[in-house]
Amino acid sequence: MNKEFLKALLKRIISSLITLFLLISFLFILIRLSPGDPAQKYLSAEFSPELMKKVTSDFNLDKPVFNQYIIFVVNIFRGDLGISYNYRLPVLTVVLQFLSFTFVFAFLSFIIQMVVSFYLALKSIRNPGGLFDKIVSKFSLVAYATPAFVLGLFLIYIFSVQLDLFPSSGSKALEFDSFSFAGKIGDYFWHLTLPLITLSSAGIAMFYKYLRDNLEDTYQQNFILNLRASGYDEKIILKKHVLPNAIRPLLSVAGIELGILLGGALITEIIFGLPGMGRLMMDSVFSRDYPLVIGCALAAGLLMIISNFIADLIKMKIDKRMIKGLMN
Amino acid sequence: MIKKSSLILVILIFVFLSSCNKKTEHPNRVVIGIPADVNTFNPLFASSVDEGAITELLYLSLADFKWNENLGELEAFPMLAKSWEWASDSSSITFYLRNDVKWSDGEPFTAEDVVFSLDVYSDPNVNSRLYGIFEILYTDEENHIDVEKTFVVKSDYELQINFLPGSTPNFLDIVHPVIPKHIFSKYERKDLATAEDNFNPVTNSPFVLIKWDRNQTITLGINKNSFLYNPGSIDELVFKIIPDYTARLTQLKKNEIDLMELIQTEDMEELNDMNDLKIKTIDGREYDYIGWNNIDPKSYTENGKITPNNLFGSREIRIALTYAINRNEILEEYLYNYGVLAATPVSPIFAYYYNPDIVQYDYDPEKARNILSDQGWRDTNNDGIIDKNGLEFEFNLTIPGGNPLRNYASTIVKNNLKAVGIRMSIETLEMGAFIDKLIAKSLNAWMAAWYIPVPIELKAFWYSDLQTTPLNFVSYQNNYADIIIDKLKKPSPKEKQRELYFEFQKIIHEDQPATFMYWISNIVGINSKVENIDISPLGAITHCWEWSVEN
Repeated sequence: MNKEFLKALLKRIISSLITLFLLISFLFILIRLSPGDPAQKYLSAEFSPELMKKVTSDFNLDKPVFNQYIIFVVNIFRGDLGISYNYRLPVLTVVLQFLSFTFVFAFLSFIIQMVVSFYLALKSIRNPGGLFDKIVSKFSLVAYATPAFVLGLFLIYIFSVQLDLFPSSGSKALEFDSFSFAGKIGDYFWHLTLPLITLSSAGIAMFYKYLRDNLEDTYQQNFILNLRASGYDEKIILKKHVLPNAIRPLLSVAGIELGILLGGALITEIIFGLPGMGRLMMDSVFSRDYPLVIGCALAAGLLMIISNFIADLIKMKIDKRMIKGLMN
Repeated sequence: MIKKSSLILVILIFVFLSSCNKKTEHPNRVVIGIPADVNTFNPLFASSVDEGAITELLYLSLADFKWNENLGELEAFPMLAKSWEWASDSSSITFYLRNDVKWSDGEPFTAEDVVFSLDVYSDPNVNSRLYGIFEILYTDEENHIDVEKTFVVKSDYELQINFLPGSTPNFLDIVHPVIPKHIFSKYERKDLATAEDNFNPVTNSPFVLIKWDRNQTITLGINKNSFLYNPGSIDELVFKIIPDYTARLTQLKKNEIDLMELIQTEDMEELNDMNDLKIKTIDGREYDYIGWNNIDPKSYTENGKITPNNLFGSREIRIALTYAINRNEILEEYLYNYGVLAATPVSPIFAYYYNPDIVQYDYDPEKARNILSDQGWRDTNNDGIIDKNGLEFEFNLTIPGGNPLRNYASTIVKNNLKAVGIRMSIETLEMGAFIDKLIAKSLNAWMAAWYIPVPIELKAFWYSDLQTTPLNFVSYQNNYADIIIDKLKKPSPKEKQRELYFEFQKIIHEDQPATFMYWISNIVGINSKVENIDISPLGAITHCWEWSVEN
């Protein structure tokens, strides 16, 4: 079993890496062929044509796209993602600076999405069609359909402007350094409360809907009826039989959702002024910071693959038949 | 039961942690909200407006400039140089430097720093933002300043700068922020852009960088050893990066930030009612215009040929188009009169040089129709669109996306032109793609803005040589205008310069290479507690060491 498992794992890693390489190659060519020029940011009355030529040649942009691609591929295999045109730092350094925040933010949001949706789904399924179930189902639809920028601005207006309970932007107070350790953690959570609600609400609604429907389906299966008839305790039926079956389809979605979250939450980051991967990616695209665009895409792609991978591993833990599926 | 108590426990911890954060008072701090982070603190590479403002707070220049409102021009004051003296034939200038200036690491500031800075600014290996502009100094074929011929360091505090014979010496071309030689000389020139010291600046100003939280805050602290230090002034200046406009405005209203620029006109009614806020405007630095490509974009981009544009090649047509556009409506309805109509690219802020005799082409569709008809543009096939020699008067107006003012204005323009029989479609492009096309001169007509430099700069935008002036997007060519621009580059008495500027404005008004729409005011909201702020066309974030906070 172990050997089989490792083989499946290796196969999966290699195919993922090939996908990733194709993705960034495609992105490289696409962004080079799209209009725009990193030298544009120097445009001013003092701008000289000489500077434009210099910048273009220093960034190798005067070479044909194919030659640029070859240089890019050689550098990738050397582990060199290049220097960001804007930040004037190695791409990896810039990405890591922003990734640390995104990691914390994404995982917190993911945990909130999971915990809240589980709680709501389990409570709803106790009395399907009951008042609680109806209310939560309706609200989940509203939450799922509300765009982040609407919800974010609404929360800022209510909790920040009107009630003055939470800050409207940033991830920490200006006095952050003078706080105690507990104070720092508190300040961080205080700043992240509204952004986390904004980012998580659609996810909670989605997971809730998935889980609730899966639970309902599973409860209607014959084997559950059989277990009930055999006199098994409801709690045991839920924990040992219903949940494992209901969770499995959810895990695939959860893996993708976590991958998306780790790639950055653009709208939420912009509204709340948070220093995450979404903003970094957007800024790099608009300023034609080609190496950084590739770096961000690579990071987002890698994280997406890893989170899907973790989801698969959990699925395998639940259902051993999955290993075979994975191999195919 | 256990679940419920753990939930209560978590909430209690959260409330406890939140209550730990009692705001520490910082009475002498001013917080400025800006939309984007900077990427460097080195003036060599500062390309955005905010980067320029912040680096100029960290690195002083030989002279300081203030705005003379009556004359509408810059006035130079001593800064790192306590005085200067021009040679009688203007072939050189000698600066006498202050001997009490120290870099923030304790090293003395000397003339060698000035020489090093100008040398580096012009070095082709550096790619500084000023590369290629030092035509008035001795330079090699790669535009790199010849240090031996240009500079004579007479002592640590006396420096002579020689100008290239035949050039027109200009004080502003040589006064730029000075960087420390002892810090940056240890780097290879090609590596300066990525030097670690760009992010940990050693400064010669009253400010030092205390902390930089990427994409969050930039905190500058006062340097008490600086010769400019004033005990009554602010001691901390924080730039808070808030990308979303609404979030920035919210923080201004909540007093979480003390200053923000570029407030939108629709928010003014509410802000005007706030007692703890004062509103100022920076006028006359930015104008919107509709560029009519004077030449045919197709033949220029395909084979470099300059031929008049089919539609906009004649100045009479361009004047008719300006008559046809109701600029006042946009100014009143959208900008709520936070701006003035523009007649030429010379701003009214340059009071002494601004020609008051220029009469605007006021909205007059009847006059527009008559001119077009005189030029042979008539609706011969009764389809509602005027035509000439089988060519219908229709074109695309390209605008960069994401600007509500231009979305609104282009719709008004479209309707205005329809009323005189011209069919205009609106095409929106992403900013990068838009600029690409502007530089290539491949657009027919577009609406954009210019943020104008101070003092007046005409050559970069309106000189006929299209190879050396990439910013002449409309491809305007007029030999007489060139002669005036050339004359303005040479030293002449003030009165003569005024005459030349007046003449230039007259010519460009008559040629109407673009429809100059309006000068848009930059509305600045400032918390009333901040005092001694000098808001001028030079900007809001200048001379911050003079600011104080009322406690």
